[in-house]
Amino acid sequence: MSTTFNPTTTIKERARISLNDEFLRNAVKYTTEKLRTSKKLASDELGNWEEWRERARQIRLHTIAHLDYYLSEFVKNARANGVHVHFASTAREAVDITLKIAEAKGAKSVVKSKSMVSEELHINHRLEEIGVEAIETDLGEYIIQLAGETPSHIIIPAIHKNKQQVADLFSEEAGETLPPETPILAGFARAKLREKFLEADIGMTGCNFAIAETGSMVLFSNEGNARMVSTVPKTQITYMGMERIIPSLEDLEVMATMLPRAATGQKLTVYMSAITGPRRPDDSDGPEEMHIIILDNGRSSQLGDPEFQEVLNCIRCGACLNACPVYRHVGGHTYGWVYSGPIGAVLTPRLNQDTEKWGEVAYASSLCGACYEACPVKIPLHDMLVYIRRQKVEEGHTPASERMAFKGFKYIMSNHRRFKRTVNLGRTGQKVVVRDGVITSKIGPLKGWTEYRYAPSLAEHSFRDSWRNLYAELEGSTPDMSSDVMKRLEEAKKKQGGRRHE
Amino acid sequence: MSKQGEDIIRQLDDQAAQKEEQFFAHIANRLNRPRITRAPAHPFRGAPDFWHAYDLSEEKRIELFMANWTSMGGNAQRFSDIVSLRTYIEDMAKTMKAKYMIRFDHPLLNEMNVEQNLPDVEMTVWNEQAQEELLTKAAGADIGIAVVDYAIAHTGTVVAVSGAKQGRSVSLLPTVFIAVLRAHDIKTKMGEVMADLTRRFGTKLPAGIHFISGPSRSADIENDLTIGVHGPGIVHALILD
Repeated sequence: MSTTFNPTTTIKERARISLNDEFLRNAVKYTTEKLRTSKKLASDELGNWEEWRERARQIRLHTIAHLDYYLSEFVKNARANGVHVHFASTAREAVDITLKIAEAKGAKSVVKSKSMVSEELHINHRLEEIGVEAIETDLGEYIIQLAGETPSHIIIPAIHKNKQQVADLFSEEAGETLPPETPILAGFARAKLREKFLEADIGMTGCNFAIAETGSMVLFSNEGNARMVSTVPKTQITYMGMERIIPSLEDLEVMATMLPRAATGQKLTVYMSAITGPRRPDDSDGPEEMHIIILDNGRSSQLGDPEFQEVLNCIRCGACLNACPVYRHVGGHTYGWVYSGPIGAVLTPRLNQDTEKWGEVAYASSLCGACYEACPVKIPLHDMLVYIRRQKVEEGHTPASERMAFKGFKYIMSNHRRFKRTVNLGRTGQKVVVRDGVITSKIGPLKGWTEYRYAPSLAEHSFRDSWRNLYAELEGSTPDMSSDVMKRLEEAKKKQGGRRHE
Repeated sequence: MSKQGEDIIRQLDDQAAQKEEQFFAHIANRLNRPRITRAPAHPFRGAPDFWHAYDLSEEKRIELFMANWTSMGGNAQRFSDIVSLRTYIEDMAKTMKAKYMIRFDHPLLNEMNVEQNLPDVEMTVWNEQAQEELLTKAAGADIGIAVVDYAIAHTGTVVAVSGAKQGRSVSLLPTVFIAVLRAHDIKTKMGEVMADLTRRFGTKLPAGIHFISGPSRSADIENDLTIGVHGPGIVHALILD
């Protein structure tokens, strides 16, 4: 794949760094809790949340299942409004197209509103390489751009920065010392970025939704920077993931009902802009020229795959991050690429199409399913994480020791006598390491577990040992199995080849 | 744009035209079926059925809109006639010592003629000629006044539509934004606005339709709520019965 991102550290090391950063841990905990509570209040206030969720899911499912149709409708209608539409199969192609537009316009500076797709392209660096200044204008994105970092939360990108750090970054930019007070810092950013908006040659945006029937692109923002970027500069470039489509303006009502509530608990973001082509001949503001770059970059590989197609339903609200017990402890940088949290753990190996390098992020999950519960379009992320783990095993990307261990496990578990002998052996062997009924020593294959918690010891009498007595006790107190269930089980047993289990 | 620049854009357009069908065919191929070129049945279009039944009386709509708009930090006022509305805006401009203002070229605002009693204010009226100058005027304005086409009670939103006489900058660049709206344009829910836009424009929408819900805000610095980051920090919804 064309991504240049290559983590030099393992996910374990990245997680360790995050876990040792107390400010980060508290900030992530506080923010995710706040967003989660707000979402709960907003969905309760709306009412019928499950019906809305199901409707949103149906619209997304339908659109993705007919993506070629809706995308081509969108392209046709956007062109009719005067938009230049481009297609990029890879990040590299999208970068090339962007650089050519910048060249054609003789651009010196670009102002950007938030776009996760642009993070996939590392477009800021590419523009700088050809001498074009690229400025992030979302307050959080601006902060992390000055710090030379990547977003740690999809909705609140600078969640990991405290006021003093922001003040230091802004002071350097201002050439004078600014106090760590939010109104002053925000005031500085407003004034500084206002200048940048007015002098920029190109405005760059992401795309929350694209409406097939009207050829419009829709942006949600709270600060108004997305409006600035799409109003002031003469040329607008919009990056759009190929799956951002919805069929109609009516469907936008459903997405507008779900996205802000799921993201921050707002009834609607302060601004929702539906932009349909460049300015009309008698309009006096808005871009004179508009380009939309439609990006694949691994997305089409999810199509037709029953295990992963639904990941394209995602509307990028970040609710799964806020609900995830793993994300809530480690924050976004641990995931290593553009997207974090449960959605990131799926998108990263899937969009990069590299399970060997990225499959490990799928292990940053307890598989509890809180992400699915939180998802406004009901994507079964926890199932997808299991599929990725399975793929990693099938492709042979697990360590030799792990493969050996599972071979041994299979050998022991497939024969009850072998199993019984092994358990007896373990019961004798563990006497060396058991203290107060638990194993604490970090030895051999137990290390992975006992490094962070105690392992339980094997019981004196196993469940299997006690079964005969238990069975006798229970006899007569449980209802008899109905004859058809019994019949089905016996048939299944026959099909299995009649292997005996005792 | 230079001749060379135009050539580059033309080349990119050609490149896109060549790539297009391959891009769509690849999607159909991945989906294991032939390419679909005719509209499929879309049984789940728009909001769920129960939502269509949700409808409030005009009084309730006004009340809910004002409550929602206010809860987000906006100011909402109701006026029974155009004179009291004009007086309110005049007073606001005087209190704020506004020097520069910008407004839509809209019959309602023309009739109101708020500038006639504000000799110290330089009022710019949006138009289709002075293109660059208008943007600069809007950026320097203390107050921008727009007549919005709709409001939505359920979310506390006003909807500004762009056009020759209605610049998008008016609701974006000034320090203060005043949205003037007529009571009967307040809808219960967003779907009604979408339906009316479709009725008026079909699928040929104006270039910019902006749904605005309160003052510009951010929580990006340590979760502190900051008002007026890029857009106006002070917003008024003035309802004319």
